[in-house]
Amino acid sequence: MAASEKVDVAIVGAGASASVFASVLARAGKKVVMLEQGPDWRESDLISSEIWGRRLKVVNPAILEGKDRLGYAYNAGWGSGGAATHYFAMFPRLLPSDFNMKSAYGRGLDWPFSYDDLAPFYDRVAQDIGISGDAKAEERWRPPGQPYPMPPIKTFRHGDVWLKGFEALGIKTARATTAINSQEYKGRPACIYDGWCNAGCPIGALANPTTTYLAEARKHGAEVKPFSTVTRVLTNEKGDRVTGIEYYDRAKQRQVQEASVVILSAFVSQNPRILLNSATDRHPNGLANANGLVGRYVMAHTGATIWGMFDEPDLQNYMGVLAPMHWSYDRYDKTARPGVFGSILWHCSPAIKPNDIGGIANSRNDLFGQALVDFIKRGSRQLSRLQAFGEELPNPDNRVELASEKDEFGFPLARINHAYDQDAVGVWSQGCDEGLKIAKAAGARESWALRASPPTIHMVGGTAMGKSAADSVANGYGQTHEIPNLWIGGVTLFPTEGAVNPSYTMYAVSLRAAEHLAANWNTIAG
Amino acid sequence: MVEVQRRALVQGAVLAALSFTIGGKELWLSPREAKALGAPASVLKPDEVETLEAVGETLLPGAREAGIANFVDNQLAVPPGDCLLMARIANVRPPFANFYRAALGAIERSCEGLHNKRFAQLAAAEQHDFADRLRQNKIEGWQGPPPPFIYFLLRHDAVDVTFGTVEGIEGLGIPYMPHIAPEKRW
Repeated sequence: MAASEKVDVAIVGAGASASVFASVLARAGKKVVMLEQGPDWRESDLISSEIWGRRLKVVNPAILEGKDRLGYAYNAGWGSGGAATHYFAMFPRLLPSDFNMKSAYGRGLDWPFSYDDLAPFYDRVAQDIGISGDAKAEERWRPPGQPYPMPPIKTFRHGDVWLKGFEALGIKTARATTAINSQEYKGRPACIYDGWCNAGCPIGALANPTTTYLAEARKHGAEVKPFSTVTRVLTNEKGDRVTGIEYYDRAKQRQVQEASVVILSAFVSQNPRILLNSATDRHPNGLANANGLVGRYVMAHTGATIWGMFDEPDLQNYMGVLAPMHWSYDRYDKTARPGVFGSILWHCSPAIKPNDIGGIANSRNDLFGQALVDFIKRGSRQLSRLQAFGEELPNPDNRVELASEKDEFGFPLARINHAYDQDAVGVWSQGCDEGLKIAKAAGARESWALRASPPTIHMVGGTAMGKSAADSVANGYGQTHEIPNLWIGGVTLFPTEGAVNPSYTMYAVSLRAAEHLAANWNTIAG
Repeated sequence: MVEVQRRALVQGAVLAALSFTIGGKELWLSPREAKALGAPASVLKPDEVETLEAVGETLLPGAREAGIANFVDNQLAVPPGDCLLMARIANVRPPFANFYRAALGAIERSCEGLHNKRFAQLAAAEQHDFADRLRQNKIEGWQGPPPPFIYFLLRHDAVDVTFGTVEGIEGLGIPYMPHIAPEKRW
């Protein structure tokens, strides 16, 4: 075993949330080390290919179980930037009703703060990383805020073609908000609409963390240690302070990184797993887990996915970005659908390539042989996708636990159990019904919904934040209730998920937390 | 104004072709080139290669010549973190070769049981029917990984090598438009 020089802050992971913490704390003069399990990606590594883009995704580290197993590897990231190196940069906000569901509806959990508390940080993030959108149009559905620094991204016919359908059903739409440059911003170029966003954006037009907060963190001295597999957080004898992190380096040698503050900013399986694997005599259930809530309330989004084949000869569906051009919160009201509870967000449409999960071929998994060849040829110019993310409510039985199987270092793997409840399935199913009506009204020659089972898109939860130590793992800044210098960052803190991509909210929550930590450093770091 | 020259970025690309060994020499080739040059498999056995090519060709005509077996075999030989197969993002746990061996073996056992022939020896209509049953999980006495999942993954492999490449996409008459292109045009 070797012990590295003690640092102010050791961060587990080098993804989006970790990068925000590292940026804020390094700028505040703190010595920051980020321990990343995967490679340290650079822009020159980001090859424009669905196939090569798979390198940015994790090799599944968990045992996946349950009726609706999580699509873990597709959603998670591997290497610096984390999942945000392959995200689509679709940046919707949560709405005020997402923050107080338990108080307002008796469903789910309350956040420990309100939309109004977070709103200034949404606006700050927009300026920090560059967001393109039409705030005024969005304010039809949310409280007013600052304008976005860039106008919305360009639209293409494969997105515009759906608008007639929305209009026919009385659904108002707005140009979507994206973390993609519609014009040059802070020295980063405008997007050139090649549709390779999920392979990482090597020109920096899309706000991958490696070109925004992580670049800022490095500039101020933060260090990324790639190929570092964190196994445990270490505590003092009394168990009331963390002292550092145990990890295995690239050579698979055990190392200890001592730190004044530890921040867990890994993903949904690993934050809970590390806490549970860090059990001691003082913390027999794992760190921050006296109430048994570590690992619980894991959530995903369903996706009502509608495909339409149009007669127009060339929708330019191979152009654009992976984020949508248009969206609608018009059906977001959690009680808008009969008999079920939960929000949906409509959006259309991404650039599509022939292969991979979101590709042309996968839109008709039933076809093979010459029929598949013919379909891919037709779809390469005439196919488009409409989708509604659907909300899942937090359920304590959807959880991360330790499995009996162990990793190469002898630590139990995570086992994740996940099943959608009747509300989530109902919201998804009604979304499919409505989407087919939109497609018909839009004039699609053929349209179909993928109804085999609801997909699991995005993943959040597992270390829920809340106001009380009795019913949550951490407070509203991600500081664990049990150990003041052990913090959690990222989407695992979300008590509920709304029906929106989590990235924008994750950035805002992380920025709010990191600035609180920096401002109260002496009290927290000791 | 920040100028972005799409093609200029290609010059900075990292090496993205695959390494194949032919006649003791290491060559950087696309899967199609490796197939054309007869690159031997390093992980899969000859009968597994034969089955994979035949199933791939049934699922997507053109996959055999596009090098489906060369692609899969090559990727089974690299560390899981470097692997480019769909299996990686479909939550298959490494080593991925275990899945392919189990899947291809189950297909062969089933074909032998049903037809007393290997899959590659079936008539085209029989191959089509078998693939359709695989898709629908309607093969009696099946023993192996879930048939629809095998169908899903092998079909993806076939689409990857046939239409997921530069030449595959451009062959559809649509532009590839890379920021950083895969070398060897795949």
